[in-house]
Amino acid sequence: MVSKIVIKKEKVDDARPGPSVPRDDDMTEIEARILELLREYPKGINDKILETHMSNLDKQIQIIVLNRLLKEKKVYMFKAPVTNALFWCLNEQPASIKLKGVDKEENAVMRIIEEAGNKGILNKDIRDQSGLNLTAINKILKALEGKELIKSVLSISVAKIKVYMLFDLEPDRSVTGGSWYTDGEFESELVDIVNQQCYRMLQQKAEAARLKAMDGPLIVRNASFLSSKEMCQMISDLNIVKFNLTVEEIEAILETLVYDGKIEMRMVSDGDEKIKTYRTVETLLSSAAIVRIPCGVCPVIEKCGTVGEVQPKNCAYYDQWLD
Amino acid sequence: MSSFTLGHFSQVCSQLLNHYYGEIVGQVGSYLLRRGNRMLTDIRTATGLSIREVKKALAVMIQHNLVKFQASERNNIVAEYSMMHHNVYCLIRYPKYLYMIKRIYGTSEEILLEILLNLGQASASNVIFHSANRLNEANDSEVLSPSALHQSFQRLAQDNFIIRCPKLAENATLLKVPTLEIEEKEKFAVPNVEIEPIARMLKEKATQLGGHCDSEIIWRVNHERFDIELRNVILVNAAARRVDTTAGELYHLILKLWRESSNPDSPATTPVSYNVIKDAVRKNDSSPILLEHFDHYLRVLHEDSAGLIDKPGDAGGGQFNLDYSKVFENLACASLDSIVLERFGSKALRLFRLTRIQKFMEQDQMQNVAMIPAKEAKMFTYKLLEHNFLQIKELKKGTSNFAPVKSFILYHVDLPQVVRTVLEASYKGLFNAMVRQMHDLTENKRLLEKHAMLESMLERLKGDDGVPEEEIAELSDTMHPAEKSLVEKIHLMSDNLTLGQTQADETILILESYLKFKSKEL
Repeated sequence: MVSKIVIKKEKVDDARPGPSVPRDDDMTEIEARILELLREYPKGINDKILETHMSNLDKQIQIIVLNRLLKEKKVYMFKAPVTNALFWCLNEQPASIKLKGVDKEENAVMRIIEEAGNKGILNKDIRDQSGLNLTAINKILKALEGKELIKSVLSISVAKIKVYMLFDLEPDRSVTGGSWYTDGEFESELVDIVNQQCYRMLQQKAEAARLKAMDGPLIVRNASFLSSKEMCQMISDLNIVKFNLTVEEIEAILETLVYDGKIEMRMVSDGDEKIKTYRTVETLLSSAAIVRIPCGVCPVIEKCGTVGEVQPKNCAYYDQWLD
Repeated sequence: MSSFTLGHFSQVCSQLLNHYYGEIVGQVGSYLLRRGNRMLTDIRTATGLSIREVKKALAVMIQHNLVKFQASERNNIVAEYSMMHHNVYCLIRYPKYLYMIKRIYGTSEEILLEILLNLGQASASNVIFHSANRLNEANDSEVLSPSALHQSFQRLAQDNFIIRCPKLAENATLLKVPTLEIEEKEKFAVPNVEIEPIARMLKEKATQLGGHCDSEIIWRVNHERFDIELRNVILVNAAARRVDTTAGELYHLILKLWRESSNPDSPATTPVSYNVIKDAVRKNDSSPILLEHFDHYLRVLHEDSAGLIDKPGDAGGGQFNLDYSKVFENLACASLDSIVLERFGSKALRLFRLTRIQKFMEQDQMQNVAMIPAKEAKMFTYKLLEHNFLQIKELKKGTSNFAPVKSFILYHVDLPQVVRTVLEASYKGLFNAMVRQMHDLTENKRLLEKHAMLESMLERLKGDDGVPEEEIAELSDTMHPAEKSLVEKIHLMSDNLTLGQTQADETILILESYLKFKSKEL
């Protein structure tokens, strides 16, 4: 996902005290206006723009101001690739130790990573956005990781590929997959445990409800429902998982139980909101009768016939079953 | 004449014919199952039997309602014969019929039905006569009067378990090939039966009833009615599982009301109003809990997601009916679920149900919603696909003409197709069980015959009082105890296989009913 670059405006450090040049008030004003213009045109300004906006500026003063800003590293200059015209651009990075050597590239990469926010960004995407080549990117990323400015997180959605984000940020749920994923691995045992626990709770509720059979089946049925919020509370009370599970996660587990055919869901409106309630159900058939003979579950039923290797006459499954 | 040209259903039918009627009938039957409508001469040339044998075989099958005839389209002085597939298949259900009748009514009705099944088609007097004979043989002390049997016969006819056969049409004698017809209102009308000739014959210990007044009116077993009864058993069990046994009782009553008021061929019953149901419950002397919570039971059954009761309207306190297609769809799905569970495991079941409920799913979605690790999810998905439980639908995305176009791969469950596949597999399983049973019995035939002979000799000797004990002991020692235990084992195996066949038949009934009602609704 290459979104349009919106360069976040970082706080600009206060100008370090350097050898101060005696300034005129005019100069300060002009400087301020030029800085304003630069902010307005983040892509850079050139002579023409300066002329149109500050037409009354003397060329000499313009040059002096720009030079000063350049020295103070508040702006920087570059040549446009085609026209070779000079452009000035506001320098947003605070003057810090980051700025040296391969500064520009590192800065570009840092900027791109920052934009990705807490969802992180892929190696490939960084390459696309910055236009640098693979080895350079890798070197920069290693350097930045070493300086503890960025970190990599295993993402579940793109199958074990790392995404990079700023060191301090909490990775988003979609990246780490919520409570069911640790280190990018799907924790199937945890899911199974929570699954069984939920089913057992519903079974107990149904058993308790059946004791009221004398009151009629409607009471029994209504008493066997549990809402997802209640279940979440009960699971948290049991403390099987170290962290708390949210209601959505419990609902996801309960949905898998619905798909197992063990429970059913019913929406109940409680005042204004609708809540999901669940209860255990019996299947319509205890088991399809055909599975009680070997042919119903035979793995080679398609190869079976009256001639050949697989025949009912000498079928090993039948021999086992009839003994 | 090899079986590989017959489909699985026809293989089952042919095996049944061979088993119950012998090889000649089996051969003629197989030929007709494979070829459809055929004239007498065709059958003779194809099977290589003599014309007399073919005629006899056809006569036996017509007598037992397995074959029907009609004038050939090309040449209407010759008759063409064709098999009635469903009736042949129902041969396997005869024991179930007897058990049901015994449970609903009693022994005398059971005997009546058994005699009728043995005779195929018979008049009321004949059936009553033979049943009386049978009962008297079994039970020397009581002599059942034929009039009691006549009443039992009437009861069976009232509940439509037996039906009159069509008789010769008026202009039949003019045509070379007679046509048979019967009017709707006459189908279940029992004629007057003269009891005295029957009673007289019984006293004389005759084996055959001579001419009698209603010999023109012939009855046979009504297979459709028994199918309805078998289906009702399954439905009542489902209701009892879903709610509780009292609900099962209520549902049984409601089913009876529906059956009495609806046309058996329609895909949904006619609605019955709340008041009618309540009256029936009160009259029926049901359990007190049912009377007390009647409203609740009705409501719980109606709101259940299995579709056991539908409420199309509110007139008369609420109109309730049953939509067969919906309820049998749920039952068929339950059967399929159970099969997937036993064959592939619970994770595969989850994926199967998920795809069926959500209609179309992509691989990634399936694995996320089902919360199954990716590798396992893929493995089970492909296994289900391999065995045709899941189907694939590809949708192309992107309209590029140059680059290879990526496509969405969606999984779905085409329910009629899956049901048909499983139905064929069930017929195959049934056939295998039968073949295995036949094989076991013929392999050990010598041993079984020896054992049977020994048993009958022992019985006879025990009946005669003068024989000393040592002779009896000596005789029973001619058979080794190991052989005896082997015979025991064979009998046990055969019983298990029969039980297995009955169970395969149950699944077949559910799946067949689903397909039948699905085609009706369209």
